[in-house]
Amino acid sequence: MLQTLGLEYHYQQGKKIVFPEIEVERGQRLLISGFSGCGKTTLLSLIAGALQLQVGEIKFDNNDYSSMSSLLLDRHRADHIGYIFQTLNLVPFLSVSENIGLGIRFSQSRKSRVPNLNQEIKRLVDSLGLDKEVLNTPVNRLSVGQQQRVAAARALLGKPDLILADEPTSALDSETTKKFLNEVMEAFDSSKQAIIMVSHDVSIAPYFDSVIDLNKNHA
Amino acid sequence: MLSLLLKSMRSRIIPTSLVTISLMASMVLLLSIERIQQGTEEGFNQSISGVDAIIGPRSSSLELVLYTVFHLGRPTNNITTKTINDVKQRSDISWLVPIALGDSHRGYRVIATEPNYFQHIRYGNNQPLTFSKGAPFTELSEATLGSDVAEKLNYSVGSEIQITHGSIESIGSKHDDFSFTVTGVLNKTGTPIDQAIFLDLKGYELLHLGWKSGKKVFSLEDIDLSSLPPDALNPKTVTAAFVGLKSKLTIFNFSKNIREYTEEAISAVIPGIALSELWSIVGLVDKGFQLLSWIIIAISLIAMVTLIIASLDNRKQEMTIYRANGASPKFLAAMVICESLVIGLVAIIGAIILVTAVTYFATSQLNLALGISPSFKWISLDEIKVFGIILLSGVLSSLIPAAMVFRKNLHQALS
Repeated sequence: MLQTLGLEYHYQQGKKIVFPEIEVERGQRLLISGFSGCGKTTLLSLIAGALQLQVGEIKFDNNDYSSMSSLLLDRHRADHIGYIFQTLNLVPFLSVSENIGLGIRFSQSRKSRVPNLNQEIKRLVDSLGLDKEVLNTPVNRLSVGQQQRVAAARALLGKPDLILADEPTSALDSETTKKFLNEVMEAFDSSKQAIIMVSHDVSIAPYFDSVIDLNKNHA
Repeated sequence: MLSLLLKSMRSRIIPTSLVTISLMASMVLLLSIERIQQGTEEGFNQSISGVDAIIGPRSSSLELVLYTVFHLGRPTNNITTKTINDVKQRSDISWLVPIALGDSHRGYRVIATEPNYFQHIRYGNNQPLTFSKGAPFTELSEATLGSDVAEKLNYSVGSEIQITHGSIESIGSKHDDFSFTVTGVLNKTGTPIDQAIFLDLKGYELLHLGWKSGKKVFSLEDIDLSSLPPDALNPKTVTAAFVGLKSKLTIFNFSKNIREYTEEAISAVIPGIALSELWSIVGLVDKGFQLLSWIIIAISLIAMVTLIIASLDNRKQEMTIYRANGASPKFLAAMVICESLVIGLVAIIGAIILVTAVTYFATSQLNLALGISPSFKWISLDEIKVFGIILLSGVLSSLIPAAMVFRKNLHQALS
C-alpha cells in the first residue's frame, strides 16, 4: 500500500537525514523507534503529505506524492490518513463527538463510509474503552488518556487506509499505555487498515508486526 | 465551516464582541451624522413651498429666510406698507402675502398676516395647508393655531388667548387688554407652521396702538374702538411679504427689479437659493465630522485585523487539527476571512438598529428645536453603499491574517 524510496530530508540548518526504505501493507502494524531529533515526526509529515518531498519518492497505492499538488495531498490526507498527535489532539471549544466527527469532515469518501455518525461514534468510543458520559464532558475536563482515546476514535472514524500516530503514548503512564495500545489495536480493522506509529519507547514493540529503528539506520 | 467558525468565535467571545462593538459604534457615528444632516436639510427644504420670493429689507438673504420661515435668528428691519402696495401692482405677480413678526404667545411665535396666507403658502411637496378644526380667521379679533400650539397648550376652537409683546414673556409686556378667539387649528405639517399662531394684520396693528418703542403708553381700554378712523388699523409696516409669480421664469428679472426699487432698500430672496447657501456652510462642518467617522472606522478595522492576527497564535492547535484532518490552507484562510465578514455583518446589523433608534430620537429633538420633522426611514441606498465599502475593506484587510494562515506550513504546526 505504502512504499518509500530513497527518502532524504535536508533541514534549513544544514542537517540531513536519510530515511530507510519503508513498505507497509494493509493489516500491517509498523513501529518506528528512535531518539528525539532523529526525524520521526519529519518522516510522518512526509508520509502524511504535510511536508514537501525533497529527495526520494512516496507511493501510496496508485498515487505518487511527487506528482501531486499540495491541494491534492490535503485531499489525499483527508481521504486516506488518520492522524494522532503526541498531545493537544482536541479542539477545545468543540464537544467530544464534534472532535471525533472532524475525522470525516473534510472527506466525502470517509463520510460515505459512515452512514450513521452518532452510532459509529458511540461504537468507537465504546470499543476504545471510554464511558458514554465522555461524549457529554467538556474536552478540557478529560484526562490525557481519555483525550488520546478520543483522538484515536477520530483517526479511526470512516476507516482511513493508514493511521499515523506520533508518540501517542508519551504522555501516558505505562499502565495506561498498555490499555491504550490494546484498545487501539482492537478497534483497528486489520483487513483494511495499516498503522504506523513512531515512539522512542521500544517496550511497546510487542504490539507491532515490525519495527524500524531510525537510530540504527542513522549510524 | 460556518458552525466551526461560530463555535471558534464563541470561544473567544470577549475580545471578538469588543471589536464588533467598536466597529459598530464607529458606524453608528458615521450614519447618525449623515442621517441627521440629511434629515435637517430635507426638513429645511420642505418647510416652505409654493413661495417664489420673499420680499424684505435689504440684508443677508439667509437671515431673512431664517427669520421669516423658521423664526430663527435676529428680527430683521421692517418695510413699509406703501412699498408692499407698490410691489403688489406689478403685473408679473400672482399673489402676495404680507407678514409681520415680533410677538409671541407662551413661547410660540405670532405671525400677523392676511387670511389668504392659508390659501397660498404650502409646505413639503407643494401640499396646501388644511384645517383639522374650524376655519381661518376672518375678523381682527380671531386667531388660527398651528397644530403643535393647539396640542401642547390644549387650545381648541373658541379658546381665548392673549399675546405677549416680543418673544419672551415678562411683566408688563403682555397685551393683556385684548383677547383673540381661536377659530381654527391647522393639520400637522412637520414645519415651523405647526408652532405658530396666526392673526390678522389689523388685529396685530390694533394691539400696538397704545405702544411706542416697545413700551405700553396707554391701554386699549381707554379708547373707543368704534371711533377709530377706518384706515387707522391698516399696518404702516410689515416684516416681509411672500410672493408667488405668474411664471417662475420671470423670477430673476423680478428680483432685479425689486433690488432697483428706489423708494426703499428692499430685496427679493429666492428661498431655495438662500437655503442652499445655508447648506454650503453646514456642509463644511458636516464633511469634517464625516472624515472623522471614517478615520474611526478605519481604526476599528485595524483593531479587528490585529485581533485576528493575535488570535492566530492561540488557535494554532485548532488550525493544526483541521489541517491534519485534511483541511486545505484555503479552508483556513476562508475561515479567517469569514470571521471578519461575520464581525462586519453583526456590526452593520447592530449599527442599523442603533442608528434607527438614534435618528428616531434625534428627529423629535429636531422637531422641538427647529420645528421640522424629517421623514423617518430604515436604510437608504447610500447607506448600503457605505456598508458595502466597510464590509469590503474588512474582508480586504483580513487577507493579511488569511495569507499568514495560508502560508503556514503544516509541518511547522505538527512538530
